[in-house]
Amino acid sequence: MTLHRRDFLKYAGAGLAASLLAKPAFSATGGQPHVVVVGAGFGGATCAKYLRIWDPNIQVTLIEPNDKFYSCPMSNWVLGGLRTMDDLIKSYDHLPGYGIKMVRDSAIGVDTDQRVVATQNGGKIAYDRLVLAPGVEFMTDLIEGYDAAEAAGKVTHGYKAGPQIVLLRKQLEAMPDGGVFVIASPPPPGRCVSGPYERASLVAHYFKQHKPKSKIIMLDGHFAVVSKGPMFKAAWKKFYPGMIDHRPYNLVTKVDHASMVVTSEFEDVKADVINIIPKQRAGAICGQAGVRADTAGVWCPVNGVTYESPKVPFVHVLGDSVASNMPKSAHVSNNQAKICAAALVELFNGREPDPYPVIGSTSYSATSDHTSGPIAVVMRYNPDKEAYIRQPGGGASLESDEVNFEYNKAWFEHIWADTLG
Amino acid sequence: MKKQKAVVAAALWLATGIAGAAETAAPVCLIAGWENPPSVCAAHTKSIAATCFICHGPNGKSSAAIPGLAGQDKAYLIAAMKEYREGKRESTVMKKYALGYDDSEYESLAEFFAAIK
Ligand SMILES: Cc1cc2nc3c(=O)[nH]c(=O)nc-3n(C[C@H](O)[C@H](O)[C@H](O)COP(=O)(O)OP(=O)(O)OC[C@H]3O[C@@H](n4cnc5c(N)ncnc54)[C@H](O)[C@@H]3O)c2cc1C
Ligand code: HEC
Repeated sequence: MTLHRRDFLKYAGAGLAASLLAKPAFSATGGQPHVVVVGAGFGGATCAKYLRIWDPNIQVTLIEPNDKFYSCPMSNWVLGGLRTMDDLIKSYDHLPGYGIKMVRDSAIGVDTDQRVVATQNGGKIAYDRLVLAPGVEFMTDLIEGYDAAEAAGKVTHGYKAGPQIVLLRKQLEAMPDGGVFVIASPPPPGRCVSGPYERASLVAHYFKQHKPKSKIIMLDGHFAVVSKGPMFKAAWKKFYPGMIDHRPYNLVTKVDHASMVVTSEFEDVKADVINIIPKQRAGAICGQAGVRADTAGVWCPVNGVTYESPKVPFVHVLGDSVASNMPKSAHVSNNQAKICAAALVELFNGREPDPYPVIGSTSYSATSDHTSGPIAVVMRYNPDKEAYIRQPGGGASLESDEVNFEYNKAWFEHIWADTLG
Repeated sequence: MKKQKAVVAAALWLATGIAGAAETAAPVCLIAGWENPPSVCAAHTKSIAATCFICHGPNGKSSAAIPGLAGQDKAYLIAAMKEYREGKRESTVMKKYALGYDDSEYESLAEFFAAIK
């Protein structure tokens, strides 16, 4: 009888064909296989860690310019005064304990033929497989005046944690009662689609306590509160009636920091504090490696089993940089990282990777200092359709509550521990 | 459709296994109704179990409000997943997760977590 077998090489891509030929060494350098991971965020750090846990024979180098990890999840809690900056900063100190070689540097180029990564400090690092997990880059040139306003310290995106969050929090603290805070968000796809709505909720929580005459105007590039809409709307009505003015279909095109006016396709809005989240694309290194290969040249298509670029063999992409129907979240990035790590382990050992990977996608959003709500969706890879298919039964909670606030806190602790601990 | 195909194939395999007893049939396991070699199923189990770590803690060891899974009784874990799926157990997110996996995955997940000390 013939067993049903999937076409191994199909999933493995060109990279595997070559590494099978190189059997049993599997490594271009003749020794243990070497994986270089760029970016120690939720995708990269998780991938590096699980590669080492699942196969200590694989050498792993992790390139990251920051000496500490700055968490975007929970950063809205800092803006709302529920937490402080210290709570967002995590240590990388546990990662070397797994045998990961940490290189404090930035990748600035990839020679995909020779399989060498070049770094800012002049390093040249050879790889058998390269994993790019650089997160997003902001397309600030789409908004007239944005770069000048940011350079002047007048406008933040607050969509990478660190100094941006510190500055935005300071601006909110300095804002007089009765002031206007504008949050402008882009249409999807982009990093954390529910983030702007959580941000509005938690800043409203802060205003309610300290400057109750203030207003929040959301200029939303999308047609509605697209993520957890009923939940956010219910919470805004209950906790902050009249404070949050959500204006859909209102893509921001211009900002003038001298007059503090934000301009959308439809209106000019005068503000006291301006937060503009520009449209995004895959991190710069993805452009340099030639893997931003979707039709717009913005995100990186990948093979759903191995996360290898169909365009450039031996280069894998994880996290927010990936072009897919999966949400761009820490939860999904961590999950993809494990699928990629597991696939690499199988490939380096000459076995077939799991052809049916499964992604769980959850994000919790807080609506006040004691309520949160989740969305939960399972997506299963279908090898025939070559896509992750959303399973029936998933979706967002219609309400936020205290129980989910506790689970939200547990989620933070556990994803940080799983990624970095 | 796919599931049926696999079940038929498995039945055939059993039949031939009994008929031509000496033939060393390659062992198979099922994922989502598809037949696979055991190494693939092991990789699948490892990978899907790791999706649970994000909420339940690394290796299912919890240090916060979401309950741990490590070292739980296997039968208890399987029963819990079935009850979530059927809505017989109260949940915030687990019904949504349970609906995304099948019975054979409940079994392998339960075995995975039960084995963690
Ligand atoms: C306000 C806010 C709230 C959020 N809340 C949640 C939440 O509650 N739940 C959730 O699941 N997600 C949340 N997210 C989304 C989450 O932060 C991202 O989806 C996640 O960080 C993406 O992971 P990543 O690995 O792709 O990128 P990142 O985590 O951004 O990591 C990228 C890393 O790569 C490094 N890097 C970049 N370029 C280079 C280079 N050339 N060389 C070396 N290193 C490089 C960077 O320094 C960085 O450390 C939130 C995001 C925001 C902005
Ligand atoms: C988004 C977070 C999240 C993810 C991901 C998740 N769980 Fe859960 N799990 C919970 C929460 C929260 C509870 C408590 C019940 C509830 O409210 O849903 C729970 C409860 C459980 C329980 C009952 C535990 C007990 O002690 O009775 C089991 C079993 C379980 N989960 C298994 C799993 C498995 C297996 C996976 C991976 C396939 C998984 N969970 C993924 C959040 C999660």
